[in-house]
Amino acid sequence: MSTHVLEGAPERVGGGLLDPRQLLTSLPEALRKLNPATLWRNPVMLIVEIGALATTVLAATTETSFFGWAIAGWLWLTVVFANLAEAVAEGRGKAQAATLRAAKRDTTARRLRERTSAEWDVVGAAELRQGDFVVVEAGETVPGDGDVVEGIASVDESAITGESAPVIRESGGDRSAVTGGTKVLSDRIVVVITQRPGESFVDRMIALVEGANRQKTPNEIALNILLAALTIVFLVATATMQPLAIYSMAVNPGVPDSLALTSDGVTGIVLVSLVVCLIPTTIGALLSAIGIAGMDRLVQRNVLAMSGRAVEAAGDVSTLLLDKTGTITLGNRQAGEFVPIRGVTEEELAKAAQLSSLADETPEGRSIVVHAKEVYGLREREPGELTHATWVPFTAQTRMSGVDLDGREIRKGAATAVMTWVRDHGGHPADEVGRLVDGISASGGTPLVVAEKGRVLGVIHLKDVVKKGMRERFDEMRRMGIRTVMITGDNPLTARAIAEEAGVDDFLAEATPEDKLALIKKEQEGGRLVAMTGDGTNDAPALAQADVGVAMNTGTSAAKEAGNMVDLDSNPTKLIEIVEIGKQLLITRGALTTFSIANDVAKYFAIIPAMFAAVYPGLDALNVMGLASPQSAILAAVIFNALVIIALIPLALRGVRYRPSGASKLLSRNLYVYGLGGIVAPFAGIKLIDLLIQFLPGMS
Amino acid sequence: MDHMPSWIRRHLAAVRALVVLTLVTGALYPLAVTGVAQLLFDRQANGSLIERDGRTVGSAIVGQSFTDAAGKPVATYFQSRPSAAGDGYDMLSTAASNLGPEDVVDTPGRASLLTQVCARSRAIGEREGVSGARPYCTPDGVGAVLKVFPVAGRPVRAVSVNQPCPATPFVAEYRGVKVECARPGEDYAAGRTVPVRGGVTQAAVQVPADAVTAGGSGLDPHISLAYARLQAPRVARERGVGVDRIRALIREHTTGRALGFMGEPAVNVLELNLALDRS
Amino acid sequence: MAALFIGALVVALALVHKPLGDHMYRVYTGVRHSRAERVVYRLVGVRPEAEQRWPVYARSLLAFSAVSILFLYAFQRLQDKLFLSLGLAPVPDHIAWNTAVSFVTNTNWQAYAGESTMGHLVQMAGLAVQNFVSAAVGMAVAVALVRGFARDGADTIGNFWVDLVRGTLRVLLPIAFAGAIVLVVGGVVQNFTGPHAITTLTGGTQHMTGGPVASQEVIKELGTNGGGFYNTNSAHPFENATSWTNWFEILLILLIPFSLPRTFGKMVGQVRQGYAIAAVMGVIALASVTLTTVFELHGAATVPQAVGAAMEGKEVRFGVANSATFAAATTLTSTGAVDSFHDSSTPFGGMMTLFDMMLGEVAPGGVGSGLYGMLVLALITVFVAGLMVGRTPEYLGKKVGAREIKLASLYFLVTPVLVLAGTAVAMANQAGLAAMLNTGPHGLSEILYAFTSASNNNGSAFAGATVNTPWYDVALGLSMAFGRFLPIVLVLALAGSLARQTPVPESAGTLPTHRPQFVGMVVGVTIILVALTFLPALALGPIAEGLS
Repeated sequence: MSTHVLEGAPERVGGGLLDPRQLLTSLPEALRKLNPATLWRNPVMLIVEIGALATTVLAATTETSFFGWAIAGWLWLTVVFANLAEAVAEGRGKAQAATLRAAKRDTTARRLRERTSAEWDVVGAAELRQGDFVVVEAGETVPGDGDVVEGIASVDESAITGESAPVIRESGGDRSAVTGGTKVLSDRIVVVITQRPGESFVDRMIALVEGANRQKTPNEIALNILLAALTIVFLVATATMQPLAIYSMAVNPGVPDSLALTSDGVTGIVLVSLVVCLIPTTIGALLSAIGIAGMDRLVQRNVLAMSGRAVEAAGDVSTLLLDKTGTITLGNRQAGEFVPIRGVTEEELAKAAQLSSLADETPEGRSIVVHAKEVYGLREREPGELTHATWVPFTAQTRMSGVDLDGREIRKGAATAVMTWVRDHGGHPADEVGRLVDGISASGGTPLVVAEKGRVLGVIHLKDVVKKGMRERFDEMRRMGIRTVMITGDNPLTARAIAEEAGVDDFLAEATPEDKLALIKKEQEGGRLVAMTGDGTNDAPALAQADVGVAMNTGTSAAKEAGNMVDLDSNPTKLIEIVEIGKQLLITRGALTTFSIANDVAKYFAIIPAMFAAVYPGLDALNVMGLASPQSAILAAVIFNALVIIALIPLALRGVRYRPSGASKLLSRNLYVYGLGGIVAPFAGIKLIDLLIQFLPGMS
Repeated sequence: MDHMPSWIRRHLAAVRALVVLTLVTGALYPLAVTGVAQLLFDRQANGSLIERDGRTVGSAIVGQSFTDAAGKPVATYFQSRPSAAGDGYDMLSTAASNLGPEDVVDTPGRASLLTQVCARSRAIGEREGVSGARPYCTPDGVGAVLKVFPVAGRPVRAVSVNQPCPATPFVAEYRGVKVECARPGEDYAAGRTVPVRGGVTQAAVQVPADAVTAGGSGLDPHISLAYARLQAPRVARERGVGVDRIRALIREHTTGRALGFMGEPAVNVLELNLALDRS
Repeated sequence: MAALFIGALVVALALVHKPLGDHMYRVYTGVRHSRAERVVYRLVGVRPEAEQRWPVYARSLLAFSAVSILFLYAFQRLQDKLFLSLGLAPVPDHIAWNTAVSFVTNTNWQAYAGESTMGHLVQMAGLAVQNFVSAAVGMAVAVALVRGFARDGADTIGNFWVDLVRGTLRVLLPIAFAGAIVLVVGGVVQNFTGPHAITTLTGGTQHMTGGPVASQEVIKELGTNGGGFYNTNSAHPFENATSWTNWFEILLILLIPFSLPRTFGKMVGQVRQGYAIAAVMGVIALASVTLTTVFELHGAATVPQAVGAAMEGKEVRFGVANSATFAAATTLTSTGAVDSFHDSSTPFGGMMTLFDMMLGEVAPGGVGSGLYGMLVLALITVFVAGLMVGRTPEYLGKKVGAREIKLASLYFLVTPVLVLAGTAVAMANQAGLAAMLNTGPHGLSEILYAFTSASNNNGSAFAGATVNTPWYDVALGLSMAFGRFLPIVLVLALAGSLARQTPVPESAGTLPTHRPQFVGMVVGVTIILVALTFLPALALGPIAEGLS
């Protein structure tokens, strides 16, 4: 599944299902992780390993029995299963990393002696320093991350994004960033290197997906502390039980020694079994796998998080800043209506508008032609058909375009420009035009005035088209407690109209980068976490300030540096998915912690009577599961404890099912499934295992 | 002041705070309470003492023993509950027995709580002319408890552990094994403890619960209505008055539940006995 | 009848909840100092306006407690040199140490018998003073923690001296004064006479005792202290004369702990949060009282069956049911006063009193300590539950991050470790084992109870255990000191950490912490965590005894 990086379009997997073969292939790695030097990072499992070792020694020396060996074996398996969970989670990243490495061949670079000089030296890519200028031509691989400072080229970035369509990279503007390992398909560019050696984007990607030097996230640290505390409590509870057990045997001198309890107290193997069953092994075993899998789920959506902290922060986001264009609305405005002035028919206006736009290749122009065709049935004519037409292109000075055809002069463009043009040609535009123009502006549209020499025909209403399904998305966000704020350069009137149509909670109109930064700071002062997307260099400060800053891969390297996530698909809508993944990560941790602790209840009911019913027969009343014998009860609890880890690996990797809803509802559901389920499930599981193993030798 | 290290200043403040608060809560406050109490409620504040013929004979709210110099119950008086305070109702060493609910095996030097209960029940039964039998008690007034060997499985030996030889065990046989009396000095710790309920039902028990147990303070001024009624015929007989007269006095000195739901109805023994003497 | 007795308590507590909670809110948030208080501050030499950061607050508290221990120790050792000593000898050093720690830590564990050890002056001006101030210290810590939740980006958590003085003078003293008079009316004594012999009806001698009992009795309950003027505590007729004083004393025990959640709600600006906390306390308390009563009335064990009721160690005027309610109330709080002797309770009735304490005494717990203990548990619950709604957990807008969880976890660790380690050490050495009065599992329960009571600052006992030995006086003294001051320092650190945070505004994605759902979760987490921790020990003590 990780090969999609090379196979064109990224597949949209739900969240990574577990292929049983992965368990097998990850086994060697799981065994390698038995090394205490590796395991010490996970104290809960380290204790299990120490316990496994102790029981093995005991089974081999003083407490020899089939029971002893069985316990020892299953304790080792418990550790292996935990390692397996982590290894499987890492394995997915490793495969991904391998394909990335393939992209990171040893390349050579042509380093310019000076930016403007024509002379260059061939050096290894690894020798490049920040600020070096290199020249890359068609067919060559970009030697390192940097910005295009000269030229324009089409670049194949499939090795990194999985997107096979080439992209344009050019100097200046927001499409200047190139990534090491990508391939220039045409033309020649000069690139200034922005990376430090060995810290290229690809390098970081590899490290990230491999989970190498994975930092524990704040929440994970907090949870680890809680788990450590629980572990200590249960260790103390078990250790301090020993003098009590010895006393109990001493005051009942007629009770013979049993496999579980002798006059020296509870036997070592049983004591270890109890500790392992009580300490939170389930969550301890799966905790790091959950974290890795969370990052992995992002990778599968072509998002690279620079840190786990960012993923976690995504779950906490309470304000989402969304750029209007491209995120909430389709990238371009479209003709939505032709509004003629009195005395002109709609048809007439539509025809004129279409004529004026035939040569206009901008999306707005195309939409006018299409709208005229769809609504008024006007055939679209190819510009070539009208041989005697003179096309007047749009320029920044005239701010209008049009056509001169058969003596007609038709123009369309910004209201002021066209009106001036009409007046210059002796016309007197009616006041009505001004009213129409203002009305359209007020409703959030962009008015384009269409005029024929000397008179205004009417106004084209260019509308922002809100993407399908956005309103539902935002409703969902609201239920999750997230406020959405639309950022737009439009005037407040326009912005309000679109905000209302899209259903966002708030908007920031006529937004400058400074406004954006100020808004983020204001939200953060109120204790809110803010997420945003951005691509331009002027977005960088805001991206850096935001708690979750998702940079578009098409953006500048400054933006990519500033953000803490990069979306390789450059799809700003994905921010919403990122938030959901962040939440899912936290939910999975919480749910499995609850499950792990809830499990202990049943284990007590298995082990306490098994240990002490010999000295206090009344305690057999606690054996509510009716387990066959003390040995089978303890072994069944240990086996259940191990198997539940394996059983939950898929859940850890996939994440707990998450549907956006209010906190209360979500909690209820998870409490029932993982709290109540966690209490009930082991009763059934342990009983079932007991039924099977009671026939083994030494179990009665 | 300011030249002192902050920790010294802090501790000096602590000392002064303690002194000031001690003056307020440890002197002014208790003295004020005492003043008001002595002024308005001096009887209660001084222990609800009861005088007879100008001589204090006790407190209305503190129990006392109605025994003679030899410690034997004075038959003309209602008897209080057993007391664990010193030799009984000793206000200088108030105490409860603190014996547990499964304290059933006598040890050399200390009778088990069960045996104490059984012995009291038997003695009171004899005193009041009713049956002293109770569940888990032998007819001779000790705890009916067996030690059975081995602890698990089919018994091979059973000992009535609270009945030292040559006593006759309260049962002859336990699950096919002959029950032995306890040989003094022998350690039966290795056996399983089996209290034997016996055939006495709760309804057939004649001596009430408070009569066979020690209270919490060792100074319990009350007995239950049932225990008072049990003693009425004997007191009537000893005093040569009609039992109805005695019963009427009991009713007079019964405190009902406060507000009808707090606590239990109880008979104040000292006040009842004083009333007996008066009548 | 038992239901009416309990119901009347519930009604009374519900009636008092709001006015008393609001009064304490005003006491701890008011900016004005009364003239008397200004005099006190001047005498003490502190500036009441100066706010303290948490380490300073903690150091002030520890300084005050250390001075208190030294003072109380010296007082006992020197009592024969002072007036009103009733001719009693100096208290032996190990008992004096144990008692000093015990009263300063609000435990009131008593390794001595009051009537034969302490003169009136030590009782009145030593022990009773600590009944006031140790309760005020507990409330101060709770209020400081609540300030941590309520404040926004603040450095400080209040002024210890102000909280101490106000708690004593404005909350405890007025209620104590009124309550003392009520008790006197009921028959509780208040005088300065020493023991004097009287001749009983049958010619025997009884030594009538006296003392300033009512003034001490009331604060012993109100401050959830529990140390009896006499050895038999609230079973003694001079401490608890009638069935209605018994009810009144239970009410006093529960009064402040059940009203503080209101104060908490008001201080954090969301009264419903206070109701939620009160509800958690109420649910656990009602369950415990009901179970204890049922177990005691049922009387399942050999001796109660032989007797026909679990009357051993219980007074006739209280009866079994009301004694069970008192036992539950005294262990659910950190009081430890007793009107019946728990050692003679039924196995499961006795286990309930143990379990109440093992809960950490949070339902409703000691004055102040109950609230802060409950808030720490709520914090841990919020953490686990908060993860399950997909956000970094937050309680009252304050994030529960690594630092908060570290402090909460340590808090949660301290008492179980003290209880279990103490019990284990005692059970593993002769000095420890020698204390048992009872044998078998019940003997084990006595030791477990001693360390549970001391570490949780309760003070009640399975009193058969002989604990006035140097070994126990030292061991239990250490348990009490660590069990009190380690959690307090952790709570104050937590308060400091929370106060610094800027609260996160509430949203639809925030875990609501005022609904029955959350109440249920805190109850569940509390009971399950505690049960898991103590089940092995309980299995070998009361459970083994009860199931035999």
